[in-house]
Parts: sequence; C-alpha cells; structure tokens
Amino acid sequence: MPARREIPRLPIDPPMSPISASIDAATTAGTDSPIELVVAGLKNLIQHAIPSARDIAFQGLARAAGGLSRENWSLDATWTDIDGAHAHRLMLMRDAAGTLLNTERSREFAVLKALEGSTVVAPLVHWMDPDGRFLGAPSVVMARMPGSCDYMILNGNRALPDRLALARAFIELMANIHALDWRARGLGESLGVPEGSPARVELRHWEAEYRRVQLEPHPELDYVLAWLARTAPPAETIVLVHGDFKPGNALIEDRRITAKLDWETAHLGDPLEDLGWVTNPVRRREHQIPGHWERRQIVAAYRELTGRKVSETALTWWNVFSCWKLAVIQLTAVNEFVAGRYSRVFQTPSWLFRPMFQMMETAP
Amino acid sequence: MRPTAEEQLQGTCRILEEVVAPCVADPFARTILDGLVANLRMLTGALPAVPGFLRHDNATTLRLLATLRDALAPALVARIDQALAAPEPDVADGAAQEERNRLLRELLAAAVCGAGLTPDMHSAIVQHMTERASRVPMRYVPTAPAPPPPQQ
Repeated sequence: MPARREIPRLPIDPPMSPISASIDAATTAGTDSPIELVVAGLKNLIQHAIPSARDIAFQGLARAAGGLSRENWSLDATWTDIDGAHAHRLMLMRDAAGTLLNTERSREFAVLKALEGSTVVAPLVHWMDPDGRFLGAPSVVMARMPGSCDYMILNGNRALPDRLALARAFIELMANIHALDWRARGLGESLGVPEGSPARVELRHWEAEYRRVQLEPHPELDYVLAWLARTAPPAETIVLVHGDFKPGNALIEDRRITAKLDWETAHLGDPLEDLGWVTNPVRRREHQIPGHWERRQIVAAYRELTGRKVSETALTWWNVFSCWKLAVIQLTAVNEFVAGRYSRVFQTPSWLFRPMFQMMETAP
Repeated sequence: MRPTAEEQLQGTCRILEEVVAPCVADPFARTILDGLVANLRMLTGALPAVPGFLRHDNATTLRLLATLRDALAPALVARIDQALAAPEPDVADGAAQEERNRLLRELLAAAVCGAGLTPDMHSAIVQHMTERASRVPMRYVPTAPAPPPPQQ
C-alpha cells in the first residue's frame, strides 16, 4: 500500500475572482514572468502528452485571486494533432511557490481519473506534471466546468426553496461520493487503505502536522488532542472521503451542481469525517440554513440516503476533530508566514477553542 | 515620543489605503495588500494590550499549575515547582515576559494531558483556557478577495 497521504490544502480558501491576464503562447518566447512561464510550461506539457500536437495556443489565461495553497489558472487551449483540431476549456492547478500546505497532485489526478464515468460530478482530468518538470511546480490540468463558486450560496440571495434544494443536492453528492466503489476503481492502491480506525489514522496524520508546524506551546490544542485520542470512534465502513466538502468547493450553474472540485484532500476513511465537517458548528453559515437545514435535518437526510446509522457520539468526535484540524491548518499558515514563504497573516486560532471545549463537555 | 507607534501604524495604514492601494490593479496583489492593512489595523489596537495580557496570563497560568500539581508526575511537578519559585521578570522586559509565558504554557501543555486529573481540575483547565482565548489581543482579520478589474 502507498504511504498515507501528504498534508492537504487549507480548506478556508476565499472565493475565486479572475485576474485579467490574457496572453498568447506564441508571444512568450524568451521571457520569464510567472504568466509566461505557465504558458511555456503548459505548452511543453501538452506537447509531451500529445507528440503530434502543433499550433498550440492559449487564450484568456487568468489566475484566481483566491487560493491559499496553490495557483488556479483558467484558459482556453487550441491545437491540432493527427486527430484534427481541438479546442478545450481548461483549468490548471499548480502548487504555489510558497504553498501553504504540501499536497500531492498525483492523488488528485488519481481520484479524478477514478471518478470518470461515476455518478459523482467532477471535472475530466487531462494531464499531470507530478514533479514540476514542465511547469516548475507539481500541476494538474483538467476541464473547466460551467458554473461558479459561492461559499455562502446556502445563505445567499436565492429564494429559500432554491437554497434548500441545493442543500439537499450537496448531501446527495456527498452520499454519491461515499457510495463509490473505491475498490473496483483502484483507489485502494493509489490512496492507501487506513489500517485500523480511520479516526486514529487521521489523528496521527494531523498530530504529526501539528508537531511539525507549531512554533510555541498550545496547551489548548494539546488538551483537545488528548480528548480526541481517548475517545476516537471506530468506523461503520470505509469510503472515499472528500476531505474538504463545502459549497465553496463546488460549481453551481442555475440550480444544478456541475462539478465537485478540489479533490487533493480526498482519501479513504470514515464517512462521518465529511459529515462531521459539514455539521461542524463553527462553519454553520456555510453549510446550514437556520431553522430549515441544520444538523438534525442534514444527518436525517444522510441516514435516509445511505442507510447508515450515524452515531451521534462518533459524529461529535468528528465535529471536534474538524475544528482541531482547522486550527492546525491555521498554525501551518502562521508557520509559513514566519518562515517568509507566505503572504497572508494568520494568528493562533483561539476563536476555535471555546466551541471545541463546549462540544467535548456536552458529547453524548 | 511622537509620532507614537500607534500613530505610525495608523498613518501607515492610511497611506497604504489612500496612496498605494488605488494603484494596485492586480486582484491577487490587492487581496494581499488589503489583508496586510487589515492586520496592521488589528495590531494598532492589539500591541498596547500585549504586555498586560502576558503578565495576567503568566499569573493565572501559574495559579492553574499549582492547582493541578497534585495530579501530575513527579518530574513535571519538579519543573512546575522550579517555575513557581522563579522571580517574576521585569514588567518592562517584554522579551523576558514572552519567554516566561512560553515556559509556563509548555508546562501547562504537559499538565493538561495528565491521566490523573479530577473533574474539578478539568473544569479549571477549561475555564482558564476559555477566558484566555477571550482575552488574546492578536486576532486573525479575514478580508474578502479583491474583485476583478472592470473590463476595458
């Protein structure tokens, strides 16, 4: 089995907005600005993947303003090869020079390949540059799907019935991901099957990350960690877990989810990990609709869709874990900032401590 | 000393917002700039509160460690006793206060993971940590991404 995955990206990215940077591949020779390096690298990557490709050109190259751990570029590509002329709407995900978290593009590529032809809506993945040979940093190129991201779509301007329908669609999407036959699609080999309790595997993984990035003592996080270690629940089953399931990681067009994005955090684990992430009280504004779509309704819908029991005790553990993991991710940002590799200022996430203590005290 | 540190930070924010920001067209760079200005504004209010926070936190952490002492392993108790016996740093010595805080919180991190803590001790730990979290002067200031520039 492959080693347990590397550290996923920060799941608190703000929404994307495009930079107006349009450039043609033919104009980039002999220059080395970031945009031009991307153009040259992408051209070489396509040439490597399709040796007969010629007249490769890009239009509308644009980098998102958001993205805390990697660069997201959109572009339209055209080329001609032995099969004729091609035109594709593409997205390039490239590790940032000073990335917040170390992710493996190969994991994202493997998951997207495995999802092709399944009931899970996800972009078709084209090519990968796993070691950055072409693009200077590990990268994945995939189809650009229609729709837009809106982190707060469940509490935005749409009418309540529309928002409720979307909320239901999100939980159906989660159920579809969890229903994927990961064994038949080869994900056991590419992602690794957790040995023992997935909760303990995740905890070990994130504790190692915590120890790696912490710059000073954090008794609060050690206290919660000790509680998590004492109370880690067994899993009802092992499924494909998205790992950062939220409206902001999905494309919406009209009333339809057109694609689930950001699969670099995907792994095999406990289905309650994703459910614990969306019922985590500190992020209820993203995932819940007050009075209509709250923890009780979400869990009931998930039970109905999957037939799983969903232990309240276990779900609360995953809620606490979600907060603790979020705290560790923010400490990673602090570490990267202090090391001079990151351009956004984060602080010790003391705002997460009280919610964690409250959940621990009232845990069933 | 005029301008005071606070006045200089406020002035820096004003200049960045009024002079620099309008010239930054790139939304990614503008998003970063907006975040830095927001953080500078937070620091303007937070910095004066840091020395007092550290002194208070050191005192309350010491009291909590003394409360937990009976449930802890002898090696940790010895370190706590050493910390309890140490003289308080000079109130004007910010670096010494920081170092004292780091040491006490390191001891607390070990103490709160002890297996022999009583329910009352757990309550005291949570109360201490909750109150501390509410008093921490430094806060993350979220900012929204800059919108794309208008089409030409």
